Amino acid sequence: MRRPWTALLTGFLLSGILQAEPKLERFFAQNCVKCHGPEKQKGKLRLDKPSGAILGDKELLETIATVLEAGEMPPEDAPQPKGEVVAEILQTLQARILAQRPDNPLKRLTRAEYTHSMQDLFGINFDLTGLLPPDHVEHGFDKFGEAHLMSPHQLMAYLKTARFIAERVLPDAKPQATTWEFDARHFHGSKNFATGGGGDFRDGDDYVLTGFRPYRSNLHFSIDTESHDQFVIPAFGLYRLDVKAYSEKSQEGEVIGINLGDGRHPTSFRNIRRIPMPHGSKGFTTELTLRTGDRLAFTFDSARVPGRSLEKGKHKGPAMRFSHLRVTGPLIETWPTEAMKAILPKPKMNPAELVDHIALLLTQRPLAAEDQKAFVEIARIQDKSGASMTATARSVLIALLTSPHFIYKAESPELTAVERAHRLSYFLWNSVPDANLLNAARSGALAKDPSIQVERMLKDAKSSRFVEDFTRQWLQRDKVDDFGPDVRVFKNVRRMTVDSMGREGRELFRYLLEKDLGMEHFIDSDFVMANDRLARFYGLPAVKGDAFVPVKLPAKSERGGLVAQAGFLKLTSTDFATSPIHRGSWILKNLYNERIEPPADILINEPDIRGTTTIREAILKHQQLESCSRCHSKIDPLGFALEYYDPVGRKRNEYRHVEELPADPEQTMFTKKIKFTKVPIEAAMTLPNGREVRDLPTLKTALMADKKRIIKGIIGKLMSYAYGRELTLADRPHLEAVYESTADKDFSLRAAIHAIAAHPAFGRK
Amino acid sequence: MNLSGGITKRRTFLKGAGVALLLPRMESLGQVSESNSPRRLLTIVNHLSFYQPELIPKTDGAFENPPPLLAELSDHLKHLKIFSGLDNPAVQNGFGHTPCVGILSGYFNKLHRKNRLSVDQAVADLIGVDTRFKSLVFQAGENLNFSQISWDKHGLPVHQIDSPRKIFNLLFQVDENEKAQRQVLAEDRSILDAVSAQAKSMEKHLNSTDRAKMDEYLTSVREVEQTVKRRAYWAERSKPSVDYELEDFDRKSVDDYVATLLELAVLALQTDSTRAVTVQIPFWEGFKEASLSGNYHDLSHHGQKKEKIDKLLMLEHAILKRINDSLNTMKARQVGNSSLFEQTTTLLTASMGSANSHNFDDLPALVFDGRMKTSGHWHRQDVPMSNLYLGLLQQFGAQRDHFGESNGALDLLA
Repeated sequence: MRRPWTALLTGFLLSGILQAEPKLERFFAQNCVKCHGPEKQKGKLRLDKPSGAILGDKELLETIATVLEAGEMPPEDAPQPKGEVVAEILQTLQARILAQRPDNPLKRLTRAEYTHSMQDLFGINFDLTGLLPPDHVEHGFDKFGEAHLMSPHQLMAYLKTARFIAERVLPDAKPQATTWEFDARHFHGSKNFATGGGGDFRDGDDYVLTGFRPYRSNLHFSIDTESHDQFVIPAFGLYRLDVKAYSEKSQEGEVIGINLGDGRHPTSFRNIRRIPMPHGSKGFTTELTLRTGDRLAFTFDSARVPGRSLEKGKHKGPAMRFSHLRVTGPLIETWPTEAMKAILPKPKMNPAELVDHIALLLTQRPLAAEDQKAFVEIARIQDKSGASMTATARSVLIALLTSPHFIYKAESPELTAVERAHRLSYFLWNSVPDANLLNAARSGALAKDPSIQVERMLKDAKSSRFVEDFTRQWLQRDKVDDFGPDVRVFKNVRRMTVDSMGREGRELFRYLLEKDLGMEHFIDSDFVMANDRLARFYGLPAVKGDAFVPVKLPAKSERGGLVAQAGFLKLTSTDFATSPIHRGSWILKNLYNERIEPPADILINEPDIRGTTTIREAILKHQQLESCSRCHSKIDPLGFALEYYDPVGRKRNEYRHVEELPADPEQTMFTKKIKFTKVPIEAAMTLPNGREVRDLPTLKTALMADKKRIIKGIIGKLMSYAYGRELTLADRPHLEAVYESTADKDFSLRAAIHAIAAHPAFGRK
Repeated sequence: MNLSGGITKRRTFLKGAGVALLLPRMESLGQVSESNSPRRLLTIVNHLSFYQPELIPKTDGAFENPPPLLAELSDHLKHLKIFSGLDNPAVQNGFGHTPCVGILSGYFNKLHRKNRLSVDQAVADLIGVDTRFKSLVFQAGENLNFSQISWDKHGLPVHQIDSPRKIFNLLFQVDENEKAQRQVLAEDRSILDAVSAQAKSMEKHLNSTDRAKMDEYLTSVREVEQTVKRRAYWAERSKPSVDYELEDFDRKSVDDYVATLLELAVLALQTDSTRAVTVQIPFWEGFKEASLSGNYHDLSHHGQKKEKIDKLLMLEHAILKRINDSLNTMKARQVGNSSLFEQTTTLLTASMGSANSHNFDDLPALVFDGRMKTSGHWHRQDVPMSNLYLGLLQQFGAQRDHFGESNGALDLLA
């Protein structure tokens, strides 16, 4: 429907542009070249070139259109062109932009997509962290082809990962399960080296974890009661853990973390599972896929700071008692496994047949005849050497998993049915499509109306991968605990509370999606998603358990909305200082979906803002420098309005200026002296639109007034995640269409996802 | 009492010139650069730093009365430049050791891979083409999230080998699984053939942006082919044989590890297995000397307690003594027509000024180079560490005028 219109428009406008060129050049010469020309090159930018060169540079075009539209250039103190002149120029630029199709560079599978694809194709839940390098995040998401660097290291990792997977899904023989039993005699906890003693201890048949700070307690276990050598997983596979443990002196229950790593070096952990232990729980059973050489440990954090008291008296706070552990594995339920049946449906296949089958299984796309040859050759060599069918299939699988056929996402200029199914599936499931979706794509139903599939996919448990992956990146949830909290300053903020902060954004998103609620809840809301810890942290009515539930806010509460979430407030702070600039720019980038980057010609030093009033003055200086003020006049008011919230997201009425005093010779590092000074907060500032913001409520009012822009910003985030690229002005018609179609549905998040998938642009590269 | 003698108890160090075979270069790769004295780089990083009042001379200029720690290196003062007070502005934020990961990059941002390239790898890119390994990075013990200090030009972590046994086997041992290994290498090569053929045919159907992407893939395949070829080439050949027995030790002793890792580093350079070796001095809590109460990490948080400082100094003396020994060994070993020492630039640096205060400025850096005209100490308050790295890179022939956070280059040979 829309395409003929665009085509028509394009044809019409292109002829217009040719005439407009001298006009453009004249406009730039009159209004821009003084600062962006031969004399000065502010922002390392020159506009004294033929308009063809400017119009041909997509990024430059985008920048010029953006600043002209926002009235940011020419700067206030420079002579201003007439409104209608700017409008005409903008029209020309925008027409040109609309006529272009945005670049969508070739994308490869992200680590999450790769992992989940393996899970859905072969029924194996392998954690590939450590095998595949982490993905590079650029402009918010790791799904952008632009940021997908390939390197020898990365390629070698693909090769190794492929071999790792192939050897496990196609084993030569059935693995044998073993059972190991451990009790208090085999358990070893953590000792507090910082104070020279204290920590975890054995108490009769129990081993007691006290969970001291800053590292938490870690329980590891050894086969030999005499040695501390950690138990090592002997073979790859699925393992069951039966644990008898209970918490004591704990009102609301606790959380046990299961980690991999050296139990004696508590910071080297990789947390692989969290087990809620509600009040009264007597233990748990869980299953995990583990690798040869993995070492398990259980972690517990009681939020107790190690003081000198730990050396003397016994621990009196909440503790976790472990009495027994049974490890069984590797567990095999069926033999041959599902993966073996999928890869080798017949006992005997000829080399070409085998290659075609596996290639199709992986991507639903056949290999081109010319590509097939080299892979068939691999199978043939194996075959000739007398290798088993399984071994031959293994080699082919390794080769295909390493090949561009699998690693890169195929996207034709107009997506084919299979490619469209993949795009939707990578969007909502982070994985390959299932048979149902492929059938819908092949029958043409998907292209016509994807709503049935989108609805089905969102209801499927696999959609939680989207919720997890999208919110992790959009809200940087995984960075919430990157800094501190400094144990000397935030003595009462418990590790598991910080962990809950990191989950709140995801849970809000999930709830809005499930309940078909509107996206303005991201800006402000009369409820928050909270679990026991967070409810207590926010001072809300008690919630039981680790699971998040909606909690209605009392009338006087300032919470509600993303900017009131402790996770966001903590994420944008350092160990013991808030960062208004960080907070303000986060809001612009992630809610308004604005691109803000430091000017190319200015080296910015992160200011040290430990809450003195003079720092406010220092930051405000930014606004006086023209090159800084373009962004900082927007950033700073948003950030300063949040100064009544401290680095962990608690309300405060004044700054506590923190100063580290020179080391006292009698003290250790964790009890080094800290000096606090109280300084009043001055938060009120005026936004460029003239609106004053002075605290969290007024900030949220201001954001609500910008609801249209912010909801478009959020839709934009979803779209760029779905497309795997940044949005440009050329996407505006699509963005507007999605916005309009959700307007009569209370801007429902779910409706927005439907509308994104239903738009014709979703079917284009 | 001889402080360092107090904990040195093990091993008879490599007797004489025990190395039998210098590795041939890789003629098959056709990349032999002919020079009888190639340049090499040995980088040593001590995360826990040194007790600077006992290491850094009070005044600038020539060494007149070297402080006690510095005196451990007295055999090499003629070829030593010490810079103190250097700053690493990009790694000042954070608590604990996390920021240490950027120490060799002079820049580090968790979120961006750009500029993560570390100086040892930047140098290895220049000098590591012909050798069996482009570079070797050693660390002692567990690879902790903050002990990753070597980053390749793509900003990805370079594999840091974490046990002396693995290093020794990699360098000198015939793989017990050699037959299986060879099969894997052969299979890798046919897989790489197949995937590059596919990439080439895919390229034809792509637009120019995507062709560039696919070219990254192809380039990577070619590099990996080189690596696999390197491996296959060496799998076919006898490994350099050395008259060296690696002592197996379970205890994690700093002194044992430093000594062993440095011996292996010298052997790797001497056999021309690689020309760039990076060694990290162990620093985690598990490391403990049998004859010393308290572990290294804990002692480094000395809180100005005299008894702790004394013990810490015993360890630091021992570490520097080992380094001094290694430099002496390098002087004694002739490779081609000059000594290993003459061919090698050695950089010793730390990721903190003082482990007691966990500060990331006031960093010391010691550069040993046989070619320098003047030796001595220069206090360079607030000068970025990157300036030293840039100087080092230029000396290895790099055509760059910027590295990390540099705002100039230190002249290391003046």
